[in-house]
Amino acid sequence: MTNQLTGAISVMDSKHSPMPGELAPSTHHRGPVAPLAERHGSWSRGAAWAAWAVAVCLTFAGCGQPEVEFGLNRLIVPPVNLVVQSREAQLVDQNRPAGEIAEELATLKETYLHNEQMLASALTAVFGTPDDPYAWPGLGLDIKKLRMAAGPTGVRGVTRGLYREHCVHCHGINGDGLGPTARFLNPYPRNFQLGVFKFTSTNQGRKPTTEDLERTLREGIPGTAMPSFRLQSPAEIEALVEYVKYLSMRGEVQNQLMTAIEAVGGPIDENQLAEELQVALDLVARSWNEAEDYIVVPAQRPPFRSEQERLASIARGKEIFLNAGKANCIGCHGPTGLGDGGQVDYDVWTKLQREQEARYPGLAQLWPLPVRPAEPRNLHQGIYRGGRRPVDLYRRIYAGIKGTPMPAQGQTLKPDEIWSVVDYVMSLPYEHEQASPAPPSVHRAGL
Amino acid sequence: MGRFWSLLFLLVPVLGVAAFVAAPIYHHWLPEDWSSHGHQIDRLWYFILYLTGAVFVATEIVLFWFMWKYDGGTNTQPATFTHGSHNLEVIWTLIPAATLLFIAIMQMSAWEEAKMEKPHRPPLARVTARQFEWRIQYPGPDGKLDTPDDLYTVNVLAVPVDEEVVIDLESMDVIHSFFLPNMRVKQDAVPGSSIPVWFKPTRVGEYDIVCAELCGWGHYKMKGRLTVLTRPEFEKWLENLRIQQEATQ
Repeated sequence: MTNQLTGAISVMDSKHSPMPGELAPSTHHRGPVAPLAERHGSWSRGAAWAAWAVAVCLTFAGCGQPEVEFGLNRLIVPPVNLVVQSREAQLVDQNRPAGEIAEELATLKETYLHNEQMLASALTAVFGTPDDPYAWPGLGLDIKKLRMAAGPTGVRGVTRGLYREHCVHCHGINGDGLGPTARFLNPYPRNFQLGVFKFTSTNQGRKPTTEDLERTLREGIPGTAMPSFRLQSPAEIEALVEYVKYLSMRGEVQNQLMTAIEAVGGPIDENQLAEELQVALDLVARSWNEAEDYIVVPAQRPPFRSEQERLASIARGKEIFLNAGKANCIGCHGPTGLGDGGQVDYDVWTKLQREQEARYPGLAQLWPLPVRPAEPRNLHQGIYRGGRRPVDLYRRIYAGIKGTPMPAQGQTLKPDEIWSVVDYVMSLPYEHEQASPAPPSVHRAGL
Repeated sequence: MGRFWSLLFLLVPVLGVAAFVAAPIYHHWLPEDWSSHGHQIDRLWYFILYLTGAVFVATEIVLFWFMWKYDGGTNTQPATFTHGSHNLEVIWTLIPAATLLFIAIMQMSAWEEAKMEKPHRPPLARVTARQFEWRIQYPGPDGKLDTPDDLYTVNVLAVPVDEEVVIDLESMDVIHSFFLPNMRVKQDAVPGSSIPVWFKPTRVGEYDIVCAELCGWGHYKMKGRLTVLTRPEFEKWLENLRIQQEATQ
C-alpha cells in the first residue's frame, strides 16, 4: 500500500499503465542467440536455439507486470514533497528559526503520509481495484456491469476489460483524463474525477442521467476526439457507462475526504475517517441517483405555420443574442457568433489545475497537460458537441454547459425566447447561403 | 544434411497450394459478393490468382529441382561459370511484359465500371472519415447537401437495395480508406477532396464498413455498418432519423 501511495502521479508513472497488447520490457529478448550461433558455426543449431529463445520469450512475455492499481488524484492530493516544499516556503517567508521549521516540516510530512495512506485505504475498501472493482452498495452501482468494463482485456470466454480496450488510452486508468494519448488532443479528454459532465439533459449543477452518458457513447462528441461507439452492444455500452459513473464517484469521494482531512488539520483517526467516508458516500450517491428528477423538459412549441414565422423567430433570437444586458451571448461568442467575444476564462477542470499549481509550485511539472483557456464555440461550423437536436441546444442554453463558462439562462430567458435563440443559432451555419450560391466550406464538417 | 533442404523447400509450393485449397473449406475466403459489379472484380482476382499461382508453383519446382540436382554433398563435378543465355533473358522479359499488358487491357472494363462511369444521380450521402469514425450526412428532402434539412448520423450507412448508390467520400483529418468488402468497394478518403464512390447492392442485409488504410492508433476502431434496405424501409429509416434529429422534447 505504501508503495502505491508514495509513487509519483500514477498515470505518468509508466509502471501503472501497461497498455493492452504491449509486451512487458523483458530481458529474455536479449537471449543467447547470436553468440551461440557463432560458436558452433552450425546454422541449424543456431536456428534451433533461436526458436527456443523466441518460445521462451513468448511464454514469459507479460509475466511480472505489476498489478494495475488506482492512484490518488495528484491535483487534490499532491505528492508529499510538494506539500512540504510549499509549507517550507511559507515558513521561510515568516522568518521562523530553522530548527522550528525543520520540526514543523517533519510533523507535517508524517501527518500527510499517514493521512494519504488512510485515504487510499478508505478508497480501496469502498471501490476495490481496477482489476477487481467493488462498489459500496449504497452507491447503486451494478457490480456485474462494472466487472464487464474493468479488468484486463483478452480474458477468454467472458467480456472483460472494455474500459481498457476502448477508453483507457485517453481517459486513464483512474478516469483522470491522463491516458497516454491525452496530451495530443484538443480538447483534452474528460477527467471524470470531479463528477462534472458537460452535455447532460439535467438542470444546472446536476449529474448526467444514465441515458445522457449512453448517448455520448453512442453518438460520440463531434468536433472532439471522442468517437462514436454505436456498434458496441447495448450491454457493453451500459457496462462502460456504469464504469464511468464508478470512476467519477471514486474521484468525488476522494475530493470530499481530502477536504474533510484538511479540515481536521492533524492526523485523522479511523473513526473520524469512517464517519467522513459515510458522509461523502451518501452525498455522492444522492447526487447521482436524483439526476433523473432534474431533467430539463423544454416547453412545447408549435411548429412554424409559415416561413415568415420562422424568420421572425430567427430575428428575435438574434436580438436576444446581441443583447449584452440580458443573456449576453455576444460576451463570449462575439457579435457574429464566431466565438470571438474576447473573454478569457477556464473550465472547472483547468481552474482547479491552475489553483493547485499556484499553491504547489512543481505540480505543473508533474501534470502532463498544459493549461488551455476555454474556447467559446464558433457557431458557424454547424458542429454541436452536445448533439444537434433542437432539444439539445435548448438544454445547453437553459442549463448551461456544466463545468464551462457557458452559463445557465433558464432564469434569464423565457422558454419561447430560448427557442428563438435556438432557431437563430441553428441558422448561423447557413447565414451566407442566401448571399452566395456556393456553400461555405465551414459547415462542411457539420459533424 | 544431404538433400534435406531441397525437400524442405519443396514443402513451400505444396503447403502454399494446400492453404489455398483448404481456405474456402474453412470459410476463410472472399467475403460474399452482394454487389452488381463485384463479379467482375472477383473474375479479375481469380484470373490473377490462377496465373500467379501457376507461375509460383512452376518457379518453386524449378528451385527444388536445381537444389536437388546440384546438391553440394553428392555432386562431384566442379562448378562451371556461364554468362547466361541471351535468348532465355529475352523470353523471360517478353512473356511477363505481354502478360502485364494483357491484364492491363483485360481489367479496363472493370475499372471503367467501378471508377469511371459514375451514375448520373446526385450523391445519396456524404461519408466523412475522421479519426476514428464515419460521419454520415444525407441531403434530406431537398436533395442538396449542406442545407438546413440535412440529416446526420454516424457509423451506420443505410442504402436502398437494387439502386445505384453514389457516395461523396471525404476525410476530415488524414487518409482513410472506405472499404465495403461485400460491395467490392475500396476507395481512399483524402483530406481536401470529395471523391465519388458508387455501387449497387443486390441483397438486403447488414454488412461491414471498415477502414483499409492505417490511419492512426485507433484505426481498429473505425468499423461501421452498411445497412441495405428495401426502398420503403429506407424511406422509413430516413424519416425516423429526421424525427429523432428534430426532437424538441
